[in-house]
Order: sequence, then C-alpha cells, then structure tokens
Amino acid sequence: MADERDPKVSQRYRELGTEEPPRHLDEAILAASRRAVHVHPAPLVPPTGRRRWYFPVAAAAIIMLSVAVTWHMQVEEGPDPDGYIASVPAPEASREAPAEKKIEMQAAPQAAPPVAASRMEERARESAPVAGARAPEAARADRALGKIAEPTTEPPEKWLERIAELRKEGRHEEADKALEAFRKAYPGYKLPESVLRK
Amino acid sequence: MLWASCPTRGGRLRGVEGADEELMIAYRDGNAGAFETLYARHRAGLFRFVLRSVKERGMAEELFQDVWMRVIEARNRYAPTARFTTWLYSIAHNRLIDHWRRKGLSVVDLENVDVEGNSPNPERQAEARQSLQRFAKALEALPPAQREAFLLHEEAGMSVAEIAQATGAGEEAAKSRLRYAIAKLKAAVDDG
Repeated sequence: MADERDPKVSQRYRELGTEEPPRHLDEAILAASRRAVHVHPAPLVPPTGRRRWYFPVAAAAIIMLSVAVTWHMQVEEGPDPDGYIASVPAPEASREAPAEKKIEMQAAPQAAPPVAASRMEERARESAPVAGARAPEAARADRALGKIAEPTTEPPEKWLERIAELRKEGRHEEADKALEAFRKAYPGYKLPESVLRK
Repeated sequence: MLWASCPTRGGRLRGVEGADEELMIAYRDGNAGAFETLYARHRAGLFRFVLRSVKERGMAEELFQDVWMRVIEARNRYAPTARFTTWLYSIAHNRLIDHWRRKGLSVVDLENVDVEGNSPNPERQAEARQSLQRFAKALEALPPAQREAFLLHEEAGMSVAEIAQATGAGEEAAKSRLRYAIAKLKAAVDDG
C-alpha cells in the first residue's frame, strides 16, 4: 500500500539506526541451518524425548523373545528315537492319554525317576501302540515305565500261546523263562495248564 | 563481517540467486547456500522489527534467533502459498505474541538513541537529537498492534494485505492500524 507511506516518517524512522544482529548470532543460525540439511531425513513419525529409544528396544525385545521361545520349544520336544510320536495316529494317542495319566498316578513308584526321564516316559506312554490297551492296567503301567524287558506289544493270550507251543516242542527251559517274564508282566493273571511245566 | 558489504535494507543476493520462495524451496531440498542468501536478505530487517518490538536487546536477540530456528525446523512443511516475507514475519509475530503473553506487554526502549549528525554545528546536532528522540518516543508510545503494522510496513516492505495476513488481522484493521501509526508519527516529525 504505497499511498500509506509518508516519506518524512520513513526518513525519520531510518535515522533511528540500522541495528543488526551480532556476528555470533549470525554464525549460530547459519551453523544450525547447515546442520539441519545434513541430517538424514526424519522418520514419518519422528520419535521425540523419551520415546526416542522405544523402537530399538522394542525390536531387540521381540528378537530376544522369538529366539527364546524357539529354543525352549526345541528343548521341550527333544529327540524321538523310536519314532513313536510320528507313527501313532494322534486321535488314538489323545484318547489314551487321560487314562494313562490316571494309571501313572496310581502305580507310580515311590522313588520317581528324574523329571526329564519321566517326561519322556509319559510321552512314550501317550503314544504307545493301541494294541497294548487291552492288557491289565497295572501291567501296562509297569511296562510303560520300562520295568519289563519282554515284548511289550504282544497281548497276554498270544504270549501264553507261544509259551504253550514251547512246552509242546519240549523247549521247557525257554518256556520257563518266558513264563517268568510273563508273570512279572502280568502278575495275578490266571495261567492255563498248557503253559505250566508238566 | 560476513555481511559487511550487504546493504542493510533490501539485502543482496549472496551465493545463490532467486526469489525468496525459490530459495526457501531450495533450502528445503537440501541447499544450505540458499538459506544463507535468504538470511542475508532478511536478517537486518527482521532484527530491527524484533528489537523495536521488545524492551531488551538481549531478549530481541533471543527472539530473533528463535524465529530463524523455527524457519529451519519448518523447512520440510514450507509451501509457497504466500510470500516468504509474509511467512517469516508471521512466525516472528507469533513468537512476539508468545513473548508478550509471558512477560506482559512491553514498549520499545528508545531512550538512548544515537544520532549520527552530519552537521558540525553542536546546536544543530542537539536539535536533531531532540527531534529524533521525540520520534522515538512517539514510536514507543504507539499501541503494539499499530507499532507492529508500522514496523512490518517499514522493515519488511509489506502492503496492508500482507500485514493483515502476517498478523492474522482483517485487512481493514491492518489498514486502520497502519494509518493511525503513520499519522501519529507524522505529528511527531512535524513537531520537530
């Protein structure tokens, strides 16, 4: 608005002085301007103050947690040398599991095995073949705990038939050993005459 | 001095040529030299504008630096929707408003104005000093809004519309403020 200007007023105003900012101020401002353009581009949501360290710390925590969980899962599963877990159908195993656990509670030895070993055994029991389900509960529990060296998958009837055959063939020594093992495996099982030594 | 050869009013290009708005965009895009040119153009006018709006020189320096820091910080958001000068002085205006709110309204201290008299006659020099002090007092006595309008007009070369934009006032209000300010200062000049 040029018509507002009064030359006399402007002239007098000029006479008041031509102060300028001090040199140190110029240098400080220009240095700041140069620093600003040499800084990397700011993030979309620039963190400020205390929040500045949130992102790296959060990232590190997530990585640590992931590694820890993965490692823990590997340790928990452990090796499966017998391949039982993979070979047994899952529904059967899960159906067996509650009963097996109950049995373990009833027939657990007073001196419990180490924790890691008992876990392995429990897993083995849970994944044991279905055929063993027909055996007496106590015997199965013992078998599962590894107390019996004899075949654990053979039903008692078959086992007895085999002993009887040994008797028929006159292999009494082998029959006696098998019978002894059977008695250990199935204590109190009523034995037929054919398996007893004549 | 870096700007020893630089005219105190109107400024002069230093290093990078171009309109203010182009320079600010260049600076936004990483050209530090563009800022130096802009600063050279506006440093003196802005400094006087701030100096005559507050009482203490120390405070004026602090505010002046703060205004430029805000320009630097706001570079990424800069869009040439108005003249750079308008944008710069609106930042200064807002900063002054904050200052006045915190400290209470203050007036310009022009008690110790130095008069550079060319006349070898001591009587004429004394007369000129008195005349200038009257003018300074008149400027000091202006209501802040009128004084600000006058300073924007003189130091930044702003039109009424630009004063209105920089101060957030209506054009009529800005025009009225400027007119009253000039009328009062003219009376002080005529008295001298």
